[in-house]
Parts: sequence; structure tokens; C-alpha cells
Amino acid sequence: MLANSAELFKFTRLTLIWLTIIFGSVWGACFVVGVLIPTLLLHLGENEIFALLAQICQYLTPVIAILVFIPINAMFMVLVERRGLALFTVRMGPNRVGPDGLLQTAADAVKLLFKEDIIPTGADAWLFTLAPIIFFAPSIFGSIPLLAAITGNNDLFAITNLPTGIFFIIAASSVPVVGIVMGGWASNNKYSLVGGLRSAAQAISYEIPLVLSLVTICYLNQSLNVVEIASRQTGGFLNWNIFGGGALNGLDKYFNALINGSSNANDILQAYYPSNQWILTVIAIAGLVVSTIIAFFMYITAACAEVNRIPFDLPEAESELVSGYNTEYSGIKFAIFFLAEFTNLFIVSSIATIMFLGAGNNPIPQFLIDYLFKNVTFIPQTINAITQALSPLINQIHLINPITFWSVVWMIVKTYSLVFFAVLVRGTLPRFKIDQLMDFGWKRLIPLSLLVFFIVIFAKGVINTNV
Amino acid sequence: MSTNLDTTNLKTDEMIINMGPQHPATHGVLRLILKLDGEIVRHVEPVIGHLHRAQEWQGQNRTLFQYQALIDRVDYLSGMFTSLAFAHACEQIDGCQIPPRAQYLRALVCEMNRISSHLLWLGTFLIDLGALFGFPFYPFREREKLLDLFEEIAGQRMMFNYIRIGGVQRDPKQSWFEKVRKFTAEFPDRINEYEAIVTQNPIVLKRTKGVGILDKSVAMDYGVTGPSIRGSGINYDLRKTRPYGIYPELNFEIPLGQNQGDTWDRYMCRILEMRQSNNLINQCLDKMPEGEILGKKQIAGLRIKAGEGFAAIESPRGVLGCYVISNGSDKAYRIRWRNPSFCNLAVLPSLLIGRPISDIMAIFGSIDVILPDVDR
Amino acid sequence: MSQTDTNKPNETKEMEVGKFGKFLKDNGIDSTRKEDSINVETIVISAKDLEPALRLLKTSSETKLNMLLTVSGVDYTDRIDSIYHLWSYDHNDALVIKVELPKQSQANTDTVNLTSIANFWSAANWHERETYDLVGIRYLRHPYLRRILNPWDWEGHPLRRDYKQLVDALNDKNPHSFR
Repeated sequence: MLANSAELFKFTRLTLIWLTIIFGSVWGACFVVGVLIPTLLLHLGENEIFALLAQICQYLTPVIAILVFIPINAMFMVLVERRGLALFTVRMGPNRVGPDGLLQTAADAVKLLFKEDIIPTGADAWLFTLAPIIFFAPSIFGSIPLLAAITGNNDLFAITNLPTGIFFIIAASSVPVVGIVMGGWASNNKYSLVGGLRSAAQAISYEIPLVLSLVTICYLNQSLNVVEIASRQTGGFLNWNIFGGGALNGLDKYFNALINGSSNANDILQAYYPSNQWILTVIAIAGLVVSTIIAFFMYITAACAEVNRIPFDLPEAESELVSGYNTEYSGIKFAIFFLAEFTNLFIVSSIATIMFLGAGNNPIPQFLIDYLFKNVTFIPQTINAITQALSPLINQIHLINPITFWSVVWMIVKTYSLVFFAVLVRGTLPRFKIDQLMDFGWKRLIPLSLLVFFIVIFAKGVINTNV
Repeated sequence: MSTNLDTTNLKTDEMIINMGPQHPATHGVLRLILKLDGEIVRHVEPVIGHLHRAQEWQGQNRTLFQYQALIDRVDYLSGMFTSLAFAHACEQIDGCQIPPRAQYLRALVCEMNRISSHLLWLGTFLIDLGALFGFPFYPFREREKLLDLFEEIAGQRMMFNYIRIGGVQRDPKQSWFEKVRKFTAEFPDRINEYEAIVTQNPIVLKRTKGVGILDKSVAMDYGVTGPSIRGSGINYDLRKTRPYGIYPELNFEIPLGQNQGDTWDRYMCRILEMRQSNNLINQCLDKMPEGEILGKKQIAGLRIKAGEGFAAIESPRGVLGCYVISNGSDKAYRIRWRNPSFCNLAVLPSLLIGRPISDIMAIFGSIDVILPDVDR
Repeated sequence: MSQTDTNKPNETKEMEVGKFGKFLKDNGIDSTRKEDSINVETIVISAKDLEPALRLLKTSSETKLNMLLTVSGVDYTDRIDSIYHLWSYDHNDALVIKVELPKQSQANTDTVNLTSIANFWSAANWHERETYDLVGIRYLRHPYLRRILNPWDWEGHPLRRDYKQLVDALNDKNPHSFR
């Protein structure tokens, strides 16, 4: 039994409450802007202006969703981080503000907003003010293409479905480093300057493996569209990109056929994995699966470096550079830096989820459900009946259609698991040195990512993933 | 176009950084004036004295009885040792007899204090390496238990005033010894726990192996003592070389560094020393005799004979010396401290030259300096 | 109370020459042994002999006193002693060397001069700086003789017997207080 199971229980409860708050408020805002106001406007009269306003409101929905989501989510993530670290280090964590410390970060945010905004003597006031904005802006517009994938391509968010979504996200993710260097330079502080320069070096080194591991997945899925990549991973964890990006599709179909008693099981297997060249097929599948798993962990590592998390937090390096590039920042500017940092962490986690971990798709394969409920058919039947009965109601409340709802739930579970993993890493590892960081980036990660890319290209040519 | 770009004469501006006194990782108020070439340190000047409390001046202007209560502050992490050094020096002059039970109690609390000091060092060392949040709290958990035990016998968690001239102040109850036994029984497991996290961690190995190599001759020239010099492979521990108190009766070995005296060796020395101290505590508990605990009456006008005494003991940081000149009155004529941190810190500049910024804190953390001990 | 404060210890008697005294005598350096209460050979040598004597004791294979514990200064009102505690990393012998430096006058600002040994013994560097700072022995040819524990603009040497702090800046009763 865990020694601090009571703390664990409190932590879980707190997480659930906060998630309800976040997604309740986001849903509420979206419902008001995307459904309620347009409906009211259209009911007011058959007027061109009203129709135009209704349409504008609907197009505004993704923006509102992002603007409501980002601050509340950052508050929640800071709380998760502090309570999570407390959990790992036999402490209590913040537990005084609000019931069980629930409102601690909200209070912190209010405090930061009301603190004096100081521009140090000798600082370049324009750049100093611009830096947090440039740091924060990409995390807003970088998260736009993700919305379509997260909501399962809901009608209201369909306009955010860019055909080159992942390209857009990568482009956006390379902008924040400009903000860091700018802030470090403008602060008129040598610690900040060293932190900013370290950040530039680090971002350049780690962008390459990050992009290469994503390109591998794009190549496997033959698409740059996040919604399409997400939709190709439906139907259980065997179809996820982390397990070969479709290399195990045949296996999934074969099991399905086998459990449902269908007679063409062997034909499916034969179609996907022809037996006349089985040695080559097995090697190719193994190569694909191993290299995509490596790509996933490479992505996680490079993403940790991109968002300056321990063990790659050299730009901040508290025990060396005081606080690195944000040493001189206070008040609302510091709050923006802080906000952007945690939003970036969330974004890289959700990219990992969409690209590798099956986005909002159910991780439990259909054949497993069939197998488990073979003899107890009344459970799926009951669920079906309830869904049938509720469907008119659900369709009335537009945003909670079952596809969007389950997509969002699975996204939350997977993404916050990755966030929690990042917190766990932070609670475990010390920091790299700058030369070791560079060595690791250029001498290990980049060759490895190129190798993975080439293996994937050759293996993909051998096996047939589109039957 | 020529490709032979001569980079040796390519000079860039050196940057002067004031590291400290307000810096998260300078263990208090050390100030280092660094001259940096990019990230490489070219020149270091430590500036100390921000925590100067005139301990030596107070020693000659307070009565001995008053001063006994003050000297725990000289090195607040190992107050038992500073008290012990002062008591030894005064006892040398006075020639008073110390009861055997007091001797054993002194050794017992000193070894406990050594463990608590090393535990705090372990936590802060990992913070210096950048593990800011996770690991450092595990050693503090055990240290908390030790401080509770100290509180029970001395009434205070850090400023003990427990070891007095002629003995110790209070005789602990039987239940206290049982608590200590309970602690020593579970402590080796805890050290295994720390080692499981730290010793095999590849990042820690990369950060510490071959970093901050303290050469034997340099160390001896600077008068470095304690685990720092034992990490370099010089077997110098006062508990063995010039045994004091009851240490000749105890059975223990001195851990030495295995490599060339880098940060890793100093880390490993302290870890092994904690295991050794745990063993010593058990031996003290087993051999604990009954009897008196105080050989000299503790009164406000406490006096010792005239004369000069110099006593040195092995503190967690090295040789802690106390030089007392008495003129037979209730005040000492002159008190002089030989602090291990002060002497060990002097070697820091020679270790830092040519290393990157990240190594400053790793090296500084590994020689284990306590700033109140430096500044007195 | 103040009477006992300045009541300096009695002069100690001279004793027979010890092991290290004999070694120094063989190498042409005169010393007198003083009585000591803790069985450690204590010798007094003249200021001009200090540097050769310590160089010899540190490097000679006979003595090998290669560990300098402290350099301390003691103000005896009419003279100031610079005291060197020598130990060894290799054996258990110990030696205390005292250099007696008479004051020119009784004034507090009066400095006394002595040769520095920091040039060949790094351990002495900071100890000599501290002794200069607190007791006021000016070590000649020291590589960096600045105050170490007190601020650089401090006046006087606090461990002198007749030291008076000029302005007590944090005392409430003082009209010039900063508070």
C-alpha cells in the first residue's frame, strides 16, 4: 500500500474538479458564442445583418475556446505540478487557499497581475515589453490546428482544420525562442543574457530531431493534416502511430475477424502480410514498430528541450543563472512568461498525443470489447439503448455530440498523462551541462532521428498498409 | 580564400559577473566575482564576510559560560562539533576529568550530528546539480528525525549548547536511546534509497565524474581537510590519526576516494562516511557506561586555569580547531577558531579556473562549505 | 570587570630545546622554547628567521610539517604575537611557532610588520589576510593583503585590546544611528 495514498486521493480529486471547471467553462463559452447567440439572432428575424452576425459568432468560437482555455489550463497545470512534486517528495504541497489548496494558483495569478511592473534601469523598454508577447503569441496561434483534431472535427471547429496543420504548428513552435533571446538581451542583466543565448543554442539543436520525428509520422500517414492523421488511428491501440503507423492494421483486422467468427480471417492476414515473402515482412514490421517507438521517445526528449523542462532547463538554470532569461521580469510580464511556458508544455503533449498516441480515439480495440462481452451481451445492449434514448436530447445540445465528447475525454486522459510524466521527470533528474546538452543533441539525437527516418522509408516500401 | 582562420588570437570581451551574495545556490552569502569568457571561467575572486558575527571578539568579551551558548552558531549545521572543540581546548588547559559516560554521549551526538550535516549537504548538492524539486527532500526527511532527537536531549534543534566544559549537560532517558536505535536500524535502507536515485543516475555521473579534480599536492598546500581531501586519496582523519575522546575504543574505517579526487569521489566519501557514522552510533550505544555526565560545575562564573590550549577535532567538513588563551579569569584572553570551511574555500578558485558556469556550483557544492563557518 | 579584561596572561618560562628546536639550530636558526600547558613544542623565533624557518620545516624530509592549521594574531598590549600552528599530514608531531612583534607605541592605529609566507604556502594566504583584518599585523609581500571579513572601508582592527568602535550605527541611543 502506498504510504501517502491519502495525498494521492486528494490529488486525484483535485484534478477531476479542475478538469470539470476547465472543460465546463470552455464548453459554456463555446455554447454561448457558437450556438446560443446565433440561434437567438436567427430567431429575431430574417435579416441579412443578423445572419452575418450569427456567422461571425460561429467563426469566433475557436478563438473563444482558446482564449478561455489557456489561462485556466495554465493555472491547473501549475497546481498539478506543485501538488505532483509534493506527492513525489513526501511533502504536502499548497493546501491552504480554497478547499484543499484548490484555488492556490488562482490566487497566485491575481497576485501576479497586481504586482508592480518593473522595467530595470538600462533595459531596452520596447524589447523588454515585447519579449513576453512574442513568447506567448505562438502558443495561441500554434494551438489552432489542434482544435479540430481534439474535438473530432466538430462542425464549429471545422474551420481550424488546416490541410498543412502540422507544418503550421512546427513553424509556430520555433518563434518563442526569439522572445527568450529578446527578453534576455533587453533585460540588461548578464544572467538573462547567458540564459537567452543558451536558449537559442538549445532551440536550434533540438528543433531538428523534433521535426524529423514528426516528419517520420507524416510520411507514414502520407498527410500533413492533423485531423486526417488522427482519423487514421481509429480502432484500438494497435493502429496508433507509435506502433508502426499502420503496420499492425492487418493484425487488428485479423483479430476482429477471428473473434467475430468471420471466415475470411486468413484472407485478411494474407492480404496485409503476404506469406511468400514473410521474412522480409516480419523484418519490415519490426523495423517500423521499433523505429516509431524510438521516434516517440525522441519527440518527447526534444519537446522537453523545446519547452525548457528539466533536465533541459538550462535557459532558466536556477542554481546557476538565478532564473535565466526571466530574472528581471515581474508582475504581469512574468505571468505571461509563466503562462506561455505551461501552455507550451500542454501543446507539445497534445501534439504527441495526436501524432503518436491515437488522438481522441478509443485505445481499447473493438475485438477486445467483443471478446470480453461475448457472454454478457446485455451490457453493450443497455449502453446502446441509453444512447438511443438520449440521442435527440444530445443532438439538441449541439456541442455534446458523442463523437466530440469521447474524443475530448480521451485527449484529456492521454495529454495529461504526458504532462504528469513531465512532472515526474522534473521530480527525478538533475540538469545537463550545456556542452553535454549540445553533444546529446548533435551527436546522438540527430543521427538517430535520420536513421529512424530512413528505416521508415525503406520499411514502408516493403509492406502494404493500404488494403 | 584562406581557410586557416587563426582562432587563438581571436579575443572576445570578458564578462564580469557578480555571483551572489543574493544567489539561489551560493549556500548563503558567498560572493564570487567571476570573469567569464563566454561560459568559461577565467578568474575567480571569492568575497566573504557578509555573515561576519565577530565570534572571536565575542569570545574575549563574554564570560566562558556565556560564550559556550554562542559557539553553536559558528557552524550551525554541526553545533555539537564546535562545542566539542571549545570544550576540548578548555579541558586541556584546565585538566579536568571527563566522566566516561559523557565521553560516550559526546561521541554519540557528534556522529548523529555528522549524519545530519551530511544529509543536508546531500540535498543541497543535488540542488546545485539542478535537481531542484525532486530528490532534495528525501535526505531532509531523515534529518528531521535526527533534529527531533536532538531537541529531546538538548532542548533545541540546531543550537544545542549540549556539550559543556567537563562533560555534557543532560542525561537522556532510556527511551531516547531506543529511538536512536530505531533510527540507526532503518537508516542504512534510506542511504540505499538515495544511492538508488543518485549513484547510478547517468546525468549525475556525467556532471560529477572528472569534474573539479583536487590534486593531492594542491590540497595539502592549501591545508584542505575532511572528506574533501579524503576524496583525493589522502588518509587524514583525526579520529584515526590523532584519536581523541573514546575513538580509540571504537572500530571503524576511513572511506577514501577511489579515482583522482573529483566531485564524484567527494560525494562517495560522504555517503560512505554516513554509513560509517551509523555504525559508530550503534557501537556507542552498545558500550554506553553508566555514571556521571558532568565533571565541572556549570556556574555563571565558570573559570579555567591560565594557559594555552589548542584542540582540533574531525568535524563533517574537516579539522575544526579551537585555540584558547586563558589568563585564569572568567573570560578567555583570546579565542581563535580554525574553521574547515574557511580553509577549504580558499582552494575553490584554483578548481574553478577553466571550467564552465555549470561546474561552479557542482564543485562548490562538493567541497561542502557552510558560510557562517567561513565568516564566523 | 574591565580590569580582568586587559589582564594579560603571565609570561611563560623558558624550557629545554626540543626536537624541532634542535633541527632548526642545526640549520642555523635560533629559537627559544617556551613552557606550554598541552605538551606541544612551542618555540619563539625572531621575525627575520620566520620565512626560512617555515620553508625549511615545510619541505624538509626530516620534519615534514606540511600542514599549516592557522596563523593567528594575539595582542598582548605591549607586543603582538603572530602564531603559527604546524601539523603534518604524515605523522603526529606538532609545533607552535610564535613571532613576537613589539609595538612602537600604544596607539590603536599602529601597525606592526612581518614577512608574509603566503608566497610559498597557499594556506597562509587567507589566514594572513584575516589576521591583518582583525589584529592588524601587516604582512609584507603578501600577494593580496586586503580586509577579508570586515568591509574594505572598516576603520581599526577589532581584536586589538584598545579597539573602540567609532559609531555604533545600529544603536537606538546613538543620535547618529541609521535607524
